[in-house]
Amino acid sequence: MTESNDLARVITGCQRDEAKCFAQIVDLYASRCYGYFYRLTGNNDISDELLSELFVKLVEKIGSYKGGSFESWLFKIASNIFHDHLRSKQRRKKLLETQKTELESETTEPKQSDGGLTDKLQIQLARLDEETRELIMLRFYSQLSFKEIAQMRAEPIGTTLAKTHRALKKLRELMEG
Amino acid sequence: MENRNNENLRELFEKFFDAEQAESCVEDIQKAERIFREHPAPEPDDMLIANIKAEIAMRLQAARAHRFKRIIYEIVGAAAVILFVASVSLQLFEKDVPGPGEAVYASLIPTAIWESDDIAADDEDLAVYTAQIEQIEDEVLTLQSDQDTGNGDSTIVELEMELIEINSDFWKG
Repeated sequence: MTESNDLARVITGCQRDEAKCFAQIVDLYASRCYGYFYRLTGNNDISDELLSELFVKLVEKIGSYKGGSFESWLFKIASNIFHDHLRSKQRRKKLLETQKTELESETTEPKQSDGGLTDKLQIQLARLDEETRELIMLRFYSQLSFKEIAQMRAEPIGTTLAKTHRALKKLRELMEG
Repeated sequence: MENRNNENLRELFEKFFDAEQAESCVEDIQKAERIFREHPAPEPDDMLIANIKAEIAMRLQAARAHRFKRIIYEIVGAAAVILFVASVSLQLFEKDVPGPGEAVYASLIPTAIWESDDIAADDEDLAVYTAQIEQIEDEVLTLQSDQDTGNGDSTIVELEMELIEINSDFWKG
């Protein structure tokens, strides 16, 4: 049986509310999704929260998955969760804008409080704008093709290619600089 | 991360850039991929994964219980509606469609008899009325046979007079 058939069988099990199939999905995607959230937020605690939220959403929404690329579908949910997080962070920022809090530097300045795990890549990623950072993360953690990323972002594939190339070139320069 | 998309990057970039630019783009992407491989993101904590699985199992159980409850409520609701409709229909049916015999007696027996407690006297009255009704029936039959022969006019007048008299006595009780 092929890998895609296995995945299809597991997804069907999820749609029948089988806990062990959900557990398999968690095992398959937790690492990549966690990497996606971590590289976007630079924070372990927030990544933990977002990952939990992602899989809870998966349970709620699995009935609406109608085939096609599962990764694309899953990372679309992940992307929405990340944007919801950004929006709620913006709201909190507005409320606390007069205070210098950790919230302000949550994603833009990685902290050493993550047990010294913050690496050079994370520091340089933080220098990119949110859209560019997310585009790179989608490319490297979702394993989606450029075509699928373009579809997910509802933009022409040429635009996605150009943006990704520009972003990666900039990141490489930052890493080598 | 190792299992990359199966797309041909060079071919893809060549659709939008000239060969030299496409080559450079592919190179940039491959170098960036190497950077990501050299700097892997941290893995999620085992405890976190276990908690997520437990949370999913709990939610599935709750959803199942909720679905079961909803089915039970729907069945009970439907049964209640059916019972209500059935009982109302029965009542309406009994009220609106009386048996033909009941309607005839209700129109013939005067209220005085229904309301009277003197059973013996009422029986006697009923016997008299029944006899009179039978007599009228006989006369009607006779009349019909007279009509057939064409000489029943005077008999009809007599019969009508008799009916009026009986009716008047009857409703006096």
